[in-house]
Amino acid sequence: MALSSIFGGASPSQQQTTVSSSKAASVKEQLKTQIAQELAVANASELVNKVTENCFEKCLSSPYSNAEEGCVDQCLAKYMRSWNVVSKAYVARIQQASTSGEI
Amino acid sequence: MSSITQNELASLDEGSKKEIMTFLESENSKQKVQMSIHQFTNICFKQCATTMNTGNLSSQEETCLNNCVNRFLDTNIRIVKGLQSIQ
Repeated sequence: MALSSIFGGASPSQQQTTVSSSKAASVKEQLKTQIAQELAVANASELVNKVTENCFEKCLSSPYSNAEEGCVDQCLAKYMRSWNVVSKAYVARIQQASTSGEI
Repeated sequence: MSSITQNELASLDEGSKKEIMTFLESENSKQKVQMSIHQFTNICFKQCATTMNTGNLSSQEETCLNNCVNRFLDTNIRIVKGLQSIQ
């Protein structure tokens, strides 16, 4: 599951004609877009917090050394790759459990 | 994007409300999975990421991450079963 998948979804239609059903459809789409966007923001900020916390721990053990920026960049790249590995492992486990009827 | 007014929300027909509820349920369960992945990555990265010389994962680190997720879930299942048995 990729973070970008949440950004999907049609933008609300611009035309607001007199027909009430198209108005309702517009409100509906707007609501969905808004919910999806807020979730995306929540996920992004969770990711930023967790990466900062972890890479701070891994890279800034000696507070006044200079070699930290490279470490933080590499740590970020490694964290994103780890996220994908964990995601795959977890999704595989869920699928395995659902096919064997455990959940 | 302008926010939706109360009136607009109230004017939604039953079908639309139902659709929104279904949408919310699916987003909700998707979000639960996402939050678990955040949590697992947080725990397992601490355990498995050893060096920061490179942004790529070594094969040991990748194996460690896979094992970490699976052992965490095993532990979770065992604890739930344990609690059920003393209930």
